[in-house]
Amino acid sequence: MNLIVNGNETNVDGELTVNELLTEQNVKMPEMVSVELNGQILRRSEFESTKLNEGDAVEFLYFMGGGHASERATD
Amino acid sequence: MNISTLAIHGGLTGDGSSGATAVPIVQTVSYAYDTAQEIADVFAGKAPGYIYTRIANPTTTALELRLAELEDGIGCVATSSGMAAIASVVMGLVKTGDEIIAASGMFAGTVSLFKSTLGRFAVKTTFVDSADVKQFTKAISGKTKLIFVEAIGNPRMDVPDIPAVAEIAHRANIPLIVDNTVTTPVLIKPGRFGADIVVHSTSKFINGHGTAIGGAIIDTGNYNWKTGVFEDISKSCEGAGRLAFLAHLRNLIYRDLGGCAAPMNSFLMLQGLETLAGRMAKHCESAEKLAQFLRGHPKVSWVNYPGLEDNEFHSRTAKLFDGRGGGLLTFGLGERDKAFRFIDSVKLAKNLANLGDTRTLVIHPCSTIFHEFSPYEQKQMAVTEDMVRVSVGLEDFEDIRDDFAQAIETSCGD
Ligand SMILES: Cc1ncc(COP(=O)(O)O)c(C=O)c1O
Repeated sequence: MNLIVNGNETNVDGELTVNELLTEQNVKMPEMVSVELNGQILRRSEFESTKLNEGDAVEFLYFMGGGHASERATD
Repeated sequence: MNISTLAIHGGLTGDGSSGATAVPIVQTVSYAYDTAQEIADVFAGKAPGYIYTRIANPTTTALELRLAELEDGIGCVATSSGMAAIASVVMGLVKTGDEIIAASGMFAGTVSLFKSTLGRFAVKTTFVDSADVKQFTKAISGKTKLIFVEAIGNPRMDVPDIPAVAEIAHRANIPLIVDNTVTTPVLIKPGRFGADIVVHSTSKFINGHGTAIGGAIIDTGNYNWKTGVFEDISKSCEGAGRLAFLAHLRNLIYRDLGGCAAPMNSFLMLQGLETLAGRMAKHCESAEKLAQFLRGHPKVSWVNYPGLEDNEFHSRTAKLFDGRGGGLLTFGLGERDKAFRFIDSVKLAKNLANLGDTRTLVIHPCSTIFHEFSPYEQKQMAVTEDMVRVSVGLEDFEDIRDDFAQAIETSCGD
């Protein structure tokens, strides 16, 4: 499945939930991250139940004071 | 999850490594990194991480995540006090020459901030009677940047029509800010009724025990910062997407004003949150009983409690708060002297400036919290000479009632 993660085209294997994508992408401090899916912020309680679809745009956001940019959230 | 469960299990809980169930108090000023590059990356926003407790702290983060969940919001910034929350939000939105519209029956500190402190920076506030929705529409000008109301006005006890006011704000493309201190997310999640930002003094019902000062700002996600009137915010915080306003606070306003939450206080707020739903139910139940008792008392001139059936806001209370009227009420004995004597005569209730404590609290607002306002201004805020404000506590209702009964007899005897 093709996704746009933090602005970059990304290919992932099989079906994924948002939680699974956080692990797959090795997102740092996952307990602190906010996730924007197609322009809408997801509630944390939705991370586990939200399945990603082909072409979805996902942004990982932090606002901890060091900045608030997206592609920066992953390694 | 429902609200009582979320209040206990929402956001971060405990400490994963030790198994502790309480959130650890991370009592530190700063956070060490192994390499110069790592800390530089965090400063540059290239990597997430804690920098300095004035900006963010792990205990406070746990509180922020839980409050955001309880308010059904997209994020939260916790502050050192309710006033710091309100000041940060408003100073994050207005500039010199801008205007604010606010309800007239609000907490005196908020009124003073808007009128005096922000007045010094040439920000003008128009105070309107929240019972008359048309007044909000009339007050809007091209310079209006926000509307601010309390879900229940303290101490006016008015209940603004939040959905209607939100619609007026959104027609003008500006955000509605709701102070949810008196009602808490247990009675209403203002975001569900159109509010854009929710603020709290967590010093009150959320702390619940009168042990710590704090505040919070929650973005409900309803306002689109990109298409709103705050071009500078959406531009400077472009990378933050829908979180633009919270990023604007975290990286600029909140950081620069310095009103950060203390880790110990964040812990106390988390502890308070865990019992909030149960406590609110009891506060509301006893307040309603006390309001009924006072209304039936021959020596009481008037009682103002939105949960009473004949109160002008009763139907709105039913619609917005699921029929619950909150833990706060006001009443009058007809004269200032009697109000003073009543306060001097209560034995159980404490005479102090706070609300939302386990203890029943009484105060004479006119001579205390509102003393700096002129009689004309007090009248506009519906603060009368004979008014006593009561924050109904968690003692057994019979004991509260008996204390009030004896104090009324003593103060109104011949
Ligand atoms: C409705 C309301 N908002 C805000 C505040 C200010 O909160 P703090 O005292 O935590 O600064 C108060 C305090 O009394 C209040 O009652």
